[in-house]
Amino acid sequence: MATGILLFQSITVILYYNNMYEVLFENVSKKIGLTKEEEQLLQTFFIPKKLRKKQYLLQEGDVSKYLAFVEKGMLRSYTVDEKGIEHIAEFAFEGWWMGDQFSFLTGEPSKYNIDALEDSELLLLTKQAEDQMLEKIPKMERFFRLLLQNHLIAIQGRLASSLSNTAEEKYNQLVQACPTIPQRVPQHMLASYLGITPETLSRLRKNISLRK
Amino acid sequence: MATKKTIAIIGASGNMGSAIAKSLANAPYRILLFGKEEAKLKSLFKEIKNTNKKADAEIIGCAADASWEADIIIAAVPFAAEKDIAEKIRQVATGKIVISISNPLNETYTGLVTSSDTSSAEELQKLLPHSKVIKAFNTTFAGDFSQPVINGKTIDAFIAGNDEEALETVSDVVRSAGFNPIKAGALAVSRTLENMQSLLIQLSIKNNYNQVAGWKILHN
Repeated sequence: MATGILLFQSITVILYYNNMYEVLFENVSKKIGLTKEEEQLLQTFFIPKKLRKKQYLLQEGDVSKYLAFVEKGMLRSYTVDEKGIEHIAEFAFEGWWMGDQFSFLTGEPSKYNIDALEDSELLLLTKQAEDQMLEKIPKMERFFRLLLQNHLIAIQGRLASSLSNTAEEKYNQLVQACPTIPQRVPQHMLASYLGITPETLSRLRKNISLRK
Repeated sequence: MATKKTIAIIGASGNMGSAIAKSLANAPYRILLFGKEEAKLKSLFKEIKNTNKKADAEIIGCAADASWEADIIIAAVPFAAEKDIAEKIRQVATGKIVISISNPLNETYTGLVTSSDTSSAEELQKLLPHSKVIKAFNTTFAGDFSQPVINGKTIDAFIAGNDEEALETVSDVVRSAGFNPIKAGALAVSRTLENMQSLLIQLSIKNNYNQVAGWKILHN
């Protein structure tokens, strides 16, 4: 009996912590195939880190040491202008990556802040660990190349959108990319991301729902 | 503005653990306390908050959860308990700094139980192959934390490890605790550091230093 309970406990522990990499493995397997051994090895390059709501991963002026993969929760990156107003650059949900690539690659201090909008479980990758990982698991080169391509496409899209789209078009694009975003992100943050006032966003949402 | 680091103190209800916790709670760190003795842990937490209302400290009921949330983990447990703790935190300690503070003393404090070709720090590193084990706070008594300056001299605190960036980070932690950090070398230097404390303990017993004593290198 006692052995049974012990066995059960140790299985629970294993399952509990294997979940730490669940979304990452799922994402990786969509782009490349890894063997079980390679998955085991992949784990050893990521720092598992819990971040609570409102805690920082990065503060302006620090060097961005990590690329963060979101296993659970939500992060945002933002800048603060000279008037103290926050401008949200990106959100990252489960399965997304977050980090200041410029600071990460150049070692220059970051102009961004990154914090958690919900209690979050992250997997952090340092530059050193990334280099070692790519050397040990060359297949991951392809994964990161595809990831960077997608990121580039997203950034170009956001740039084009911010230059020429109306607020409503921008909002619709965002909701299309992430349907749960209006429920998970406070209205004023969505407005900040879209570059409009909360009042404009509120009006815009009312118009959209009236048309439905 | 520097991003605040979170330090998990595993064994915070112990002598050394609570001394480290009290000391670091006054520095700009977030401190997570885990320990076996709940009553001691609660009174430690109360004392920290009474001394410094702004202290960012919290009791966490599980060693693995505290370590999961931490950037730096301090294994403030005796040598004999390190294996058990390592099992519990291994998965969440990947890539993190783990500070080994223990001295593998024998029961009569007359020597070490480890063989001369290893140290408790190196043994911990074997148990946590994907973590960055750093030796620190093993040459300082618990009593030194409330008095890191003796007769106008700041006690030297030696650290050893194989990762330069991690040594830098731990130097900051040691400095925050009021000591003068000295990078002694690679992790294998822990063998010397652990023997140094064995000697200091024997001298402390013999000469009644009352556990307020430390090492200081005098130099030009």
